[in-house]
Amino acid sequence: MVMRWVGGWAALAALVVLVGGCSGKDPGDALEGIAERGIDESRLGADSRGSLADAQGGSLGLPGSEGPLEDIRFGYNSVDLGQQARNTLQRNAAWLAERPDTKVEIEGHCDDRGTIEYNLALGARRASAAKNYLIALGVAPSRITTISYGEELPLCRDAVESCWGRNRRGHFVVFGQ
Amino acid sequence: MRDMEAMKAVVVGVVVALCAALNLEAQAQVRSTIVGPGATKYPIAVSPLKTDGDPGLGVGFSDRVVLDLERSGMFRVLPRSTHIAQPQSSGVDLETIRFENWSVLGAHAVVKGTIAVVGEDVVVEARLFDVAQRSQLTGRRYGGRVEDIDRIADRFADEIIDSIAGERGPFDSKIAFLSTRDGRFKDLYVMSANGKDVERLTNARTINLAPRWGPQPDRLTMTSYRGGDPDLYTISYPGSRWQQLTRVPGLNLGGGFSPSGDSLVTTLSFDGNSEIGILDVDGTVRYRLTENSAIDVSPSWSPDGESIAFCSNRAGSPQIYVMHRSGSRVRRLTRKGSYNTSPAWSPKGDKVAYASRVRGKFQIFVIDTDGGGVHQVTTDGNNEDPSWSPDGRYLVYSATRRGRTHVVMSDLSGIHTVQLTEGNGGDTSPTWSGWLD
Repeated sequence: MVMRWVGGWAALAALVVLVGGCSGKDPGDALEGIAERGIDESRLGADSRGSLADAQGGSLGLPGSEGPLEDIRFGYNSVDLGQQARNTLQRNAAWLAERPDTKVEIEGHCDDRGTIEYNLALGARRASAAKNYLIALGVAPSRITTISYGEELPLCRDAVESCWGRNRRGHFVVFGQ
Repeated sequence: MRDMEAMKAVVVGVVVALCAALNLEAQAQVRSTIVGPGATKYPIAVSPLKTDGDPGLGVGFSDRVVLDLERSGMFRVLPRSTHIAQPQSSGVDLETIRFENWSVLGAHAVVKGTIAVVGEDVVVEARLFDVAQRSQLTGRRYGGRVEDIDRIADRFADEIIDSIAGERGPFDSKIAFLSTRDGRFKDLYVMSANGKDVERLTNARTINLAPRWGPQPDRLTMTSYRGGDPDLYTISYPGSRWQQLTRVPGLNLGGGFSPSGDSLVTTLSFDGNSEIGILDVDGTVRYRLTENSAIDVSPSWSPDGESIAFCSNRAGSPQIYVMHRSGSRVRRLTRKGSYNTSPAWSPKGDKVAYASRVRGKFQIFVIDTDGGGVHQVTTDGNNEDPSWSPDGRYLVYSATRRGRTHVVMSDLSGIHTVQLTEGNGGDTSPTWSGWLD
């Protein structure tokens, strides 16, 4: 737990430094004539602890950013929940049942062997499949949201099955602990 | 918007008015040569334009026309080092050009002309001559600012292609793409169709996906996670002003404006499953086009705005389908291949380009809209996200070769291929605009 929070705060701190640094000394083209172009901005919520925030802070895939719930894996171009995924979801459902005040966001991810847009849709189906199984196990639908990141936030970038397998995942981000 | 119109006012207005007044049009010609990408290359010479100002302007104009003609794949441009006529002293009209100086080089046509500079303004007069006939094929006068010279050259290159190959060329247009060249996340860039003039439009520090030009090249649509969720935005060009279009929960992915600009098509995940929906221009969902348990994604308008091509795995594997814009008359287009996606409807409406997985890599294919005439455009590396040039002669796509992903254009045969982006790669999701006017 301590490790995870340290990782989380480190990510947030890194993000603040990153954004702060960018506002002053970005190379010419990006911020030149900002009044004319409008200001680019991204949400920086206090509870941004999902994979996108981790990627923005540079900590995606590093130890300490895993969270309390275990990822589930999918087969290539598949949204089916295998036995191992169902076992993991049962453990995750039990963890959530003991903490009724928490909410969970399920992220659907893909390996990079599909096309970018199709993988966004595939990631949405993966997250949805995990959500439906958690609901079937008794988790209230109102506690679960889903988001797809397609192939945009890989944990690794090697063109080998062990890496593709890690990236084809459902990831669980817990809020309100 | 105002910038774009100001530019049009300067360049187009003046051109149209002056062309009509000067009657620079070619006399009727009977031509039997078949010219197009992949056919025999047409030998042409482009002389630096004569100028009373900086000779570099005349050379720069010529360089730009040469680049465009070479990128078209239709021409064999004779090297300037072989030119006999001196650009600053030789004649530039029918009476004074010594055509034997060009015929001896093997040139079938030659470009000659002048650039007059008055302060910050330029007037370019460019003409294309048939060397054997000793006649003018086409001529144009353009007025603009000094900084418009490259655009004027692109427009004249398109005019040369029109004159020689029978239809306007594609170079007075822009290609937008995403790139990780300056950061961890993909940002939006725009370049000229010949790969020059790369501009960075966004600095969003989040996931950006699926840019598409609007019906006019004054804006793009793009999906961005800048608000935390994947929503659809418009981004003005020039100017890079973001405007959020959709706030529907779940995916709001890709698609874009209809050809008339009266609505948008996009992918929405209504219930965790992606479906195609039609939106009003303010982003509200008008109606959904698909409703089933399969993935439906990557919609692409037909140029008449009546039909939509999309990808669906409703038959078990991802395949290309077409339907009427009401969602009726759904028809499967692709029959071969186990993973066909990313359809792009051609500007003439007769073909659909798409990406198909072959032996573990995606390749670009083209199919007739009646399901016939399937042919493979790419064979090397991994190729995704095809988009058509405004003249329908070329495709642009992202190509991964030897570990680097670049934006590449090729003709439909795939024989004439040009890498448009430089550097270390990370360039994806290209989208080719319509003509700038």
